Amino acid sequence: MLEAIHLSKNFKGKKAVQDVNLYLGHGESVGLIGPNGAGKSTTISMISSLIKPTSGEIKLNGVNTITKPGEIRKILGVVPQELALYQELSAYENLHFFGSIYKMQGKELKDSIEQALEIVGLTDRQKDLVKTFSGGMKRRVNIAAALLHRPEILILDEPTVGIDPQSRNHILETVRMLNEKEGTTILYTSHYMEEVEQLCDRLYIMDHGEIIAAGTKAELLSILSTEDTFKLELSKLDGNFIERVRAIEGIRKVEAFQLQMKIIAKKGSNLISELVHLADQQHIQIINFQTETPSLEDVFLHLTGRTLRD
Amino acid sequence: MKAVLWAQFCKDKRNPLVVLLFIAGSILATLLFAGGVSSPTTVPIFSEEKNASEIEKKWESLLNVSDSFRFEIMDPKQARENVRDGNIDVAVKVMATDYRLVANSERPTVSYVQQHVEKVFNREAQISAIAKTQGEENVRSEIENYLEDAPFQLDTQGLDSEHIPKYNLSIQLLFAFTFLISMFIAGLKVNNVTNDKVSGVWNRMILSSISKTSMYCGYVLYSFLITLVQVLVVLLLFKYVMDYEVGDHLWLIILIAAFFIFSMISIAMLITGFVRSPEQFYAIYPSLIPMIPLISGSYMLPGTITNPVLLFIADLFPMVHAIEAIMSVVFYSAGFEDVIMSLLLMLLIGVVAMGLGINLMERRGH
Repeated sequence: MLEAIHLSKNFKGKKAVQDVNLYLGHGESVGLIGPNGAGKSTTISMISSLIKPTSGEIKLNGVNTITKPGEIRKILGVVPQELALYQELSAYENLHFFGSIYKMQGKELKDSIEQALEIVGLTDRQKDLVKTFSGGMKRRVNIAAALLHRPEILILDEPTVGIDPQSRNHILETVRMLNEKEGTTILYTSHYMEEVEQLCDRLYIMDHGEIIAAGTKAELLSILSTEDTFKLELSKLDGNFIERVRAIEGIRKVEAFQLQMKIIAKKGSNLISELVHLADQQHIQIINFQTETPSLEDVFLHLTGRTLRD
Repeated sequence: MKAVLWAQFCKDKRNPLVVLLFIAGSILATLLFAGGVSSPTTVPIFSEEKNASEIEKKWESLLNVSDSFRFEIMDPKQARENVRDGNIDVAVKVMATDYRLVANSERPTVSYVQQHVEKVFNREAQISAIAKTQGEENVRSEIENYLEDAPFQLDTQGLDSEHIPKYNLSIQLLFAFTFLISMFIAGLKVNNVTNDKVSGVWNRMILSSISKTSMYCGYVLYSFLITLVQVLVVLLLFKYVMDYEVGDHLWLIILIAAFFIFSMISIAMLITGFVRSPEQFYAIYPSLIPMIPLISGSYMLPGTITNPVLLFIADLFPMVHAIEAIMSVVFYSAGFEDVIMSLLLMLLIGVVAMGLGINLMERRGH
């Protein structure tokens, strides 16, 4: 349906996005994940025809959307990261405006507004001014504004930033419903791994402007099939101990936080006795020890050497 | 375009205070600085002679012949105290045939009062001298009758008509302040483009079915209409409520104001093209705007500014052309043909500034 081919974007000589290849199939829900500054927003700005790429192509059903942006704009809904709303207007008035710019009017516009408000669960607050809404409600109006013209593709740029868990769940449920019941193709960007794990069939992991991994959740997890993850809770933790753990053969990554350690090691490494021995030598008591099933967060850590929120 | 216009007006409907404050500000500034509430300068007179009351009454009636000054009898002690405290610039101590000015500094008012008082006392001295030599009691009325039909009379006549209009700076200031405030409103409203760009609403519009031309037209038309309303309210108020003499061609004045507003919106658009955020605009625009009427000489009588560099800079802004055209309509009953050059100059400034401004904004967008 929609594909980005060797997409790159430079800003004043600085490479923001490099050689990105991305595919969205009809009715798919695809996640684009990466830390802040990874190039996700720039990528979706190019895909949605807001900015022109320095090089590369974007094709919608084979038609180049860089030269014919109107093709994608007709079927695209974008939920921007910022709250692109008029705070002084009510939710209804905002949606009326955003519907009008899609040349909708009369009953068609009214029905679309009602439907969008129902989807985001704000029918009873439609007359209230947006500036009186909570952060989560504002985000929901932000989503509703992108649904008015019933887009085939919906791009959501970090739609859950800075909101409470209840609103976050509401938004995730809305996106899931749009994908599963309405058949809307979703491109969801986030730096919350659990969100994309929940929502998306396939994932693209971005870092420093590049796609560093892509595939289904199972495919990405298989990257770590040669590794085991251990989590330790200790009575105390110092730099010396961390360094000595790092030196153990088979250990690939060590991450320490307060009194906890996360260790990624070569699969089958018999680490337990060595760790216990080392802790004993340092007079450190191991309070808790568990083997973890690798998560996508671990995949990201493995690929980039840092966590998503670093 | 209709959708953009509707949304902008809806925002104003929710928060009309800013526009109302600007309209009120425009009226207040005109009243305060353009002499709308001006009254003649009050000058106390007093006498310390034996027959003080008689002398004071005599000179009070003789001195009160000018619209610029009102001479009032005051207690000598009070008058001196007022001058000392700076409450008044000058007081006049009158004697039977002479006077003294009481002032604490050399201010312009002192010399104006002196000129007037001197003239009245000289005239009275001449009449008294004639009366003494002629020995006639009714010499004063004879002189006055004679002067009414004097053998040498000065008659002034205009080039095109017998009537020579009196140039009224208050009317010029009315337009100067109205336009000054209108420039602020226009800029504030044009800045909605930058606000919407920062908030992301602009991008939403780009992705919609609305064309960029319609988007820009919506913002420009909205800014134009709201500024025109402000100018109209102020002008109509001053013409019909406060009886300001703004001539018989109100439609032509409104037309000139419309051209001025368009070109000022274009200049605001040009400044918008240079800034990255609404805050930058708020910092730059209000610093530049008050300079335009100053350079254009809008607060001064025509011909006050003679520096060619300043005159050239003033020509680059629409204010000088608007004021010139309006003053010729108000005072010289100029018609459409007479002001067409000023209108074209404002249009040219507007088109160039708008073109540059939109171009800069679009380049920034990419």
